Amino acid sequence: MRLFQKLQTVPMLTSHRVKLAVLFVAANIGLMLHLLNGDIKPLSAWDWLDIAGEGGSALLLLVWIWLLLKSRPAGYVTNLLFLGLGCLFFSLFMDVVDEFVALPDEITWDGWLESGPMPAGFVLLTLGIFHWHKEQLAINEQMRNRERLFREHRQFDKLTPLGDAHYLRKQLELALGEAEQARLPVSVVMVDMDGFANINRDYGHKEGDRLLQVLTQQILLNLRQHDLLCRLAGDRFALILPHTGASQAQLLAEELQKSIQHLAYKSSRQGERLYLSATAVAAMAREEDAETLLYRLNIAMAKAKQTLEVRHG
Amino acid sequence: MDEPRSWLECDTRFIPAHYQPVSLIDLALERGVNAHRLLQGSGLFYEDILTGDKLISPQQFHALIANARQQLQADDTSFLIGHQWLPGHCGAASHALRHATNLLEALQRLIRLQPLLSPLMMPRLRLDERHVWLSWSDSFGSGSQAVFLIEASMTAVSSVSQWLSGQRLPWAFHLAHARPRYIEQYWVHLGERLRFDCPLNQMCLPREYLLTPWAEASATAGQVAEQEGWGMVRTLVAPRSLLDGLHDYLVKEIRTPLRLEQVAEAFAMSPATLKRKLKKHGSHFQEQLDRARSAVALELYLSRGYTTEEVADYLNFTDRANFRRSLRRWTGLLPSELSTWLGSQR
Repeated sequence: MRLFQKLQTVPMLTSHRVKLAVLFVAANIGLMLHLLNGDIKPLSAWDWLDIAGEGGSALLLLVWIWLLLKSRPAGYVTNLLFLGLGCLFFSLFMDVVDEFVALPDEITWDGWLESGPMPAGFVLLTLGIFHWHKEQLAINEQMRNRERLFREHRQFDKLTPLGDAHYLRKQLELALGEAEQARLPVSVVMVDMDGFANINRDYGHKEGDRLLQVLTQQILLNLRQHDLLCRLAGDRFALILPHTGASQAQLLAEELQKSIQHLAYKSSRQGERLYLSATAVAAMAREEDAETLLYRLNIAMAKAKQTLEVRHG
Repeated sequence: MDEPRSWLECDTRFIPAHYQPVSLIDLALERGVNAHRLLQGSGLFYEDILTGDKLISPQQFHALIANARQQLQADDTSFLIGHQWLPGHCGAASHALRHATNLLEALQRLIRLQPLLSPLMMPRLRLDERHVWLSWSDSFGSGSQAVFLIEASMTAVSSVSQWLSGQRLPWAFHLAHARPRYIEQYWVHLGERLRFDCPLNQMCLPREYLLTPWAEASATAGQVAEQEGWGMVRTLVAPRSLLDGLHDYLVKEIRTPLRLEQVAEAFAMSPATLKRKLKKHGSHFQEQLDRARSAVALELYLSRGYTTEEVADYLNFTDRANFRRSLRRWTGLLPSELSTWLGSQR
């Protein structure tokens, strides 16, 4: 479930080892064919502009291929993109080799090596990008309730698959602007675990982290299509509810509280049941900016917590 | 000449690596930081820490904090660490804190066993008619790690007092730095009673919480552990840091004319040595003197309700304009601004 877990770079590349090896062998065979059948051009005949242009493009394509393989899991879309880029690279590489090696006139296959893979590469790359687009739509569906309108990977929280406080602030500003223009209400709900510090103390940070990840999923399951969940800090989450009035937001806050109370969470080591409870407060945006609204919710949260029984925090 | 002759300095190795440093190391490793990068430049090796007898200097600890911050790139590191620092894993000292029977005893033990429980930051306790004040000062000149250490130390005290009392204590926090961009971390970990740009780093609580008995404490076990902890403090090369010793000396002698030469004599070192030692901690004599005066002035204002005239008199200022300028230099505030600040206090 953890989409944003740091991608393990090493295994990612090793699973693509065969692909890289094939590309390497193909480029070498092309080079060998040229060297076997032709003669190296004298230095005076080298066309530096062509060498720089074609060689540079070939190098950049290698960088693209490396980044692609480094960041993507193996699969249909990755294969298509790789094949496309690989063909383009091969074609440009043959062009570069051609600048150094003069082939006798009776040989015609070199033209095929240079120009053949190019259109094939473009077709494959186009197919790859088309399917990438399809894949992205599928991922967007998975990202529902976790992002809206824009994506900013630097604002992903490091622990949960959610946006962080900066992402929340930006989204809240957007939502407030939208709401004002459309003259529709927008509400925010803040959820905070009770006694979370004690769980960290008694069961350790790892357990606390795991609980936050589970809670994230639990909260996401309770949301509507357009609601957005972010992690504010620690065990405090914030929810932006577009087109939602105060009473509906209050209802959702209560539902979330109940849902967390009914979550039968078990500790990872002993499988011990931890009894959880959370405090959720809701507020409808008045004419105010994101910071004021967040601050107001925060005060509401502090008041709600004050009435809690002892042994909670 | 009643000052001790040796002091903890920023290069004195006295902090057991498996006390506070290890919780930072564990947090970083759990979050996927490379151990080599984390310890780089700190002069530490992971194997050393595992032996359980490695001592590190404040400088090395500062370097470790800098690395952890750099590698983790997270706003909550200081707060997460703070939650773990007290009572912590410092043997008898932690045990003594764990079994304090009320807040006053806990804070007194924290201060008495400070070199073990809070080696980089010195807490000082002050009680007035209505409030408990716990102010924090940087024992070794931590430079750019100062805000991190303040966040961690304040979180540690508020977290441990909440845990032991079983209650949310309404601590208020006065912070010398500006309101940070990651204010939400303060809201979640410290609460909403926050003031930034203050003349002093301190936390404050109504007095009524001071003597409320804590349920799960064992008074005898606590006393025994405190004795044992105190024994450990006495085995250190020195009981406190040079900066802390100097601060207390200056505060005590604040009404007498204070010059570098004569303070150095009281500390049994040459003026040049004192100057060099202060420089090593990123400070100088005038700065230390200003800090001491600022602390005294604020105490007079805050706890004894002195007027500006009375404070100026106490500090031997005959010229009002001069006092205004000086106060501005120590606290960043003019007397009038200070009284507004004080007025909006409680």
